[in-house]
Amino acid sequence: MTRNVAILGAAVLPVAKWQKPRDADVQVLEHEILAKVVIAAMADAGLDKSEISSLVFAQPRPYTQQKYFATFIANYLRLPCTGTVQEVLGNGMTAALAFEAAANDIRLGKSQVALALGINFESAVPAVEHMMNSMKATGDVDFHAPFGFTPISWYAMDAARYIYEFSSSREELASISVKNRRHASLNPIAQFRKPITLDEVLAQKPIVEPLGLYEVPPRGDGAACLVMVDEEIAKVSGKPYVRVRGRGFFHEGAHQINEVPNDMIALASAQRAGQAAYSEAGVTADDIDLAELYAPCTIIEVLASEALGLVPRGQGARLCAEGVTSLGGRIPIATSGGLQSRGHPAHVTPFYSFFELKEQLTGRAGERQVRGAQLGVTSAELGNYNAALIHVLEGVQ
Amino acid sequence: MLASQAIDRIRAFPPRMTEFTKQFWWGLASGDFQTTRCDGCERLTFPPKPFCPHCWSEGVRWVPLSGRGKLYSQTVVHAAPMVFQEETPYRVGIVDLDEGLRIATRVLSETEPGLDTAVEIVVLQYRDGPLFAARPL
Repeated sequence: MTRNVAILGAAVLPVAKWQKPRDADVQVLEHEILAKVVIAAMADAGLDKSEISSLVFAQPRPYTQQKYFATFIANYLRLPCTGTVQEVLGNGMTAALAFEAAANDIRLGKSQVALALGINFESAVPAVEHMMNSMKATGDVDFHAPFGFTPISWYAMDAARYIYEFSSSREELASISVKNRRHASLNPIAQFRKPITLDEVLAQKPIVEPLGLYEVPPRGDGAACLVMVDEEIAKVSGKPYVRVRGRGFFHEGAHQINEVPNDMIALASAQRAGQAAYSEAGVTADDIDLAELYAPCTIIEVLASEALGLVPRGQGARLCAEGVTSLGGRIPIATSGGLQSRGHPAHVTPFYSFFELKEQLTGRAGERQVRGAQLGVTSAELGNYNAALIHVLEGVQ
Repeated sequence: MLASQAIDRIRAFPPRMTEFTKQFWWGLASGDFQTTRCDGCERLTFPPKPFCPHCWSEGVRWVPLSGRGKLYSQTVVHAAPMVFQEETPYRVGIVDLDEGLRIATRVLSETEPGLDTAVEIVVLQYRDGPLFAARPL
């Protein structure tokens, strides 16, 4: 028996620098923060805690001192479970994999109410120290890391190739940062909300050329909880909810670069996973009303939106500059403000994407509401989009 | 035989060497750029591996590479991990070797090289061992 999965409740922590330095007398600790988010999410769903039977966590960053975090929280919140209690990890895909595992418990009938949740605290760890870890996660430790590649240096090389192949420009790419900040200005949980101009984006210090400070993700902390249920429970709740219509996954069997030269900026994984998700949902890219993509840098929003068929190949940056992907445009992308402005607490970032789609598809997005939004697409990735996990979500009111 | 350049420092993040990969690193130190090729399907792989990732045959042999290719993409890293702080900013890139292999490495060029520019691989002789890099021809 196949059961439909719905997101009935959700809550997130506004993305910000919440973590305190290690030597601070008074700390902000992950379990206290996450407990509040869980209670808020369950209040949103209108369910009693006794109905929860699965907990799937995005694994915290290694800086979280409380290890075996999932089982610790099961105790902290007094949550006996008959489905599963587990932590998953997969770099930027982590939270989307947690979402999948929770959804699978529902599909398999192991749970009727499953929480997909997590917290990512890292902002008090200096970037130069954090990158000593992250450089080992993006590329080959012995054949790439010794040259000094950083996670976003791979995206920068996507940008250079895109500008070269499609006669695009840094200005066109930078327009994504301006658009996303404008969206974030309307989002109360976004990390950066003050609007910025194209000139300001272009004037920032270079981080990985051609990308400057406002074109790459800021560092921040976040926490989220999604209450996922068997759709039958969502139906009887009388509340608006979001149905998972389709999912697709593809890993190209390569890490960072493909040793067999390919079209690196086609994001073959997002193309394949997107087609699978659309097919399962019985829709096409033209049916999608908005997209919330995993795109740490501006260029990745362009490449992922092209790979998912939301805009034509080679035109994504130009169309953003023309307003096509803005709120009010044909296909709004990153209405939350995206990873540059909403923020990017990496292990929980995809939860924030699901949260934004839930807000939009249930008509609760306030000033940034996409009118009549019914279908949304979201993505998560590994490496340089060497793998993609795509979901199509539908609002049910 | 690759051209060689002395670098008066130690490698910031030296690669680990195994019984298998020491052939690559020791060879590099004496100017040889090489990888493994499958005896069965004859495909090359990089980094070198003690098996063929394409057909999983364990019959592989070391073969020389030309050290010539084209620059597929490049960037300059300004925000670097702790151990690379003294080297910033530095240029890195992706190179498609003439043999049909894609690799990633440092790029030696004061000015921004055009993409698809022909490059050659050179040995960087650090005080503690070798690395390699690409430079425009």
